[in-house]
Amino acid sequence: MFLQQLINGLTLGAVYALLALGYTMVYGILELINFAHGEIYMIGAYLAVILTALLSARGLTQVSLFFSLALVLLICMLYCGAYGITLERLAYRPLRSAHRLSPLISAIGMSIFLQNFVMLTQGSSDRVFPQLFPRKTLRIGSAGLSLLQLVILSLSLVLMILLHLFIRKTRLGRAMRATAQDRVMASLCGIPIDGIIAATFFIGSALAAAAGFMVAIYYGLVNFSIGYVAGIKAFTAAVLGGIGNIPGAMMGGLLLGLIESLGSAYISSEYKDGFAFLILILVLIVRPNGLFGEKTADRA
Amino acid sequence: MCERPQLTRSGLLCKLQKIILMGIFVRWTYLPWPLIGFLLVTGCNHRAGEIRIGVAGPMTGDQSKLGQDLQRGVEVAVEEWNQKGGVLGRRILLEIGDDQHDPKQAVLVANKFVDSSMVGVIGHFNSSASIPASSVYHEGHIPMITPASTNPQLTEQGYENVFRLCGKDDQQGKIAAEFVVNRLKAVRVAILHDKTTYGQGLGDLFRKNLEELGRGSFKVVYQGGITQGDKDFRGVLTSIAEARPDLIYFGGIYPEGGLIIRQAKELGLSAPMMSGDGVIDPKFLEIAGPAAQGTYLTFGPDPKAVPQGRRFVEKYRTRFGAEWAPYAIYAYDSANLLITAIEKAGTTDGKKVAEALHRVKYDGALGRIEFDSRGDIKKSPYVVWIAGTGEFKEYWAPPE
Repeated sequence: MFLQQLINGLTLGAVYALLALGYTMVYGILELINFAHGEIYMIGAYLAVILTALLSARGLTQVSLFFSLALVLLICMLYCGAYGITLERLAYRPLRSAHRLSPLISAIGMSIFLQNFVMLTQGSSDRVFPQLFPRKTLRIGSAGLSLLQLVILSLSLVLMILLHLFIRKTRLGRAMRATAQDRVMASLCGIPIDGIIAATFFIGSALAAAAGFMVAIYYGLVNFSIGYVAGIKAFTAAVLGGIGNIPGAMMGGLLLGLIESLGSAYISSEYKDGFAFLILILVLIVRPNGLFGEKTADRA
Repeated sequence: MCERPQLTRSGLLCKLQKIILMGIFVRWTYLPWPLIGFLLVTGCNHRAGEIRIGVAGPMTGDQSKLGQDLQRGVEVAVEEWNQKGGVLGRRILLEIGDDQHDPKQAVLVANKFVDSSMVGVIGHFNSSASIPASSVYHEGHIPMITPASTNPQLTEQGYENVFRLCGKDDQQGKIAAEFVVNRLKAVRVAILHDKTTYGQGLGDLFRKNLEELGRGSFKVVYQGGITQGDKDFRGVLTSIAEARPDLIYFGGIYPEGGLIIRQAKELGLSAPMMSGDGVIDPKFLEIAGPAAQGTYLTFGPDPKAVPQGRRFVEKYRTRFGAEWAPYAIYAYDSANLLITAIEKAGTTDGKKVAEALHRVKYDGALGRIEFDSRGDIKKSPYVVWIAGTGEFKEYWAPPE
């Protein structure tokens, strides 16, 4: 059973990790917690359901499931990336020189707005993802790894590796790291801050869309309120790993998924949601900056 | 007006004077108009001629289909009556309250209905909403008929204005246990519930009856709860799989029920699932897909066996273009009962209508209906249904 719970937990954790990355990247650059991030994830999930239903009606999914789903994923990521950029432009950029709380309130407002927007336009009942995946399970000992779980785990891994390489090896990635370190200095060095911030939001939102896409397939059900809970948990994961720290967000997400899964199995299924927050409190007491966070020097 | 420096005491008083004068000026010119407009609008609602009935349920959110089914059932009844001239010579008007299956919202809706002097309320849907709301209706002397709340506590409060058309969970639990012990003979049972008044109540009552009937040879190998709104149950299902159950009993509603059976099958759990009336909805079949086949559940007898029930199903199909929804029929009969009672009482006074409801004998789409002194229906059999491909079918009835 332990192996099965491990698999379940890692799969769940992979989704949390992708979401947590969006939170952590935005915080690193703007010191803002983007509460509307969960809603971008929800929009990605809805779009995945809508597009797949569309393609399925045209018969394209029968032709090639892989390519049609890959197309859906690509469109979701681009669409939500655009959503992220627009969000930043509308709700956060005008408040960049305001009091620190203002963008936070703006974020909460955008979150409520987007939730209700989707509820009014898409209806308030659950939408079901067409069941297209073959039900194949690979048996490892007494545990089973379903095809879906394998796809989610490998896709998340690929995306996380790509992000890591991007941040470490490319010029744009280096510019992002510089902007996160010291925004004023980076702009003095000629880095276009507005563009970098927009790019950060784009990447974070695209990852959230990928998470939403995977969740739509994995659970087969989307609803306008899924962004709220997932957003809180992903934010917890980001803080757990050290907010602002990218490998931290990945580890935090995976850890959170594992804790939830193992906790609900071995301790109590009724308090499943509580374990993650309990661990968060304990970790923060011992390591206030999160597991991977470093103490940043106070600005002069 | 006053040219004193601001930060002295007299300076501040001066500023205060300015503010008060501005305020008075503003109030005089601007306040009356919105007030008049507001009164006109709200005044228009209280047309003396109409009888207003409230419908309360989860109109938005993940259980919105249930609320919508409730509303539609009542609408069909009200339209029939209005076509015949209404009741007591007055038209019937419906007002909808959305409680989102949240107890706090339910109380808000109840207060709103009491304040706008509804003659009666059909609702709520979920026991966790109906029970707090019933106290508010009791204080406001408004009769309330719930088509779907099955928790026994609702009618144990001693409120003379509370009625229910469906059965109770102790009956449901008993029939389910009889089925499991006598027919299924599933010796190892895992029980899951959704921690709500209904779900946990049903799970506990099922367990109690199973242990009484099973006399030691039937074992509950797992009991646990899940959270409503959650989507991932693999953790708890993996634990259940460890216990090798012959049956999984779930007390809860279709959004979670559908996901649970689907994920159970994905994890390779072959035990069938049994649940209560919360999952008899086509949405359950949609969410679970092929995994739903072979799921048992308890519900009232098939309304299509009664001619009036068949007529309702036809009318529902033509009016809404959708297959009959299980609780729409209960809502339909509830509305008919309420309006019949209003007619028999000859008045819209809540207390008299409630008294009339206690005395009424009505032949509806569900057969003959009478209430007992506590507000429960006198005859309330539950039978076991099974989920087939794309529909539910009656499967087993307890021997008389």
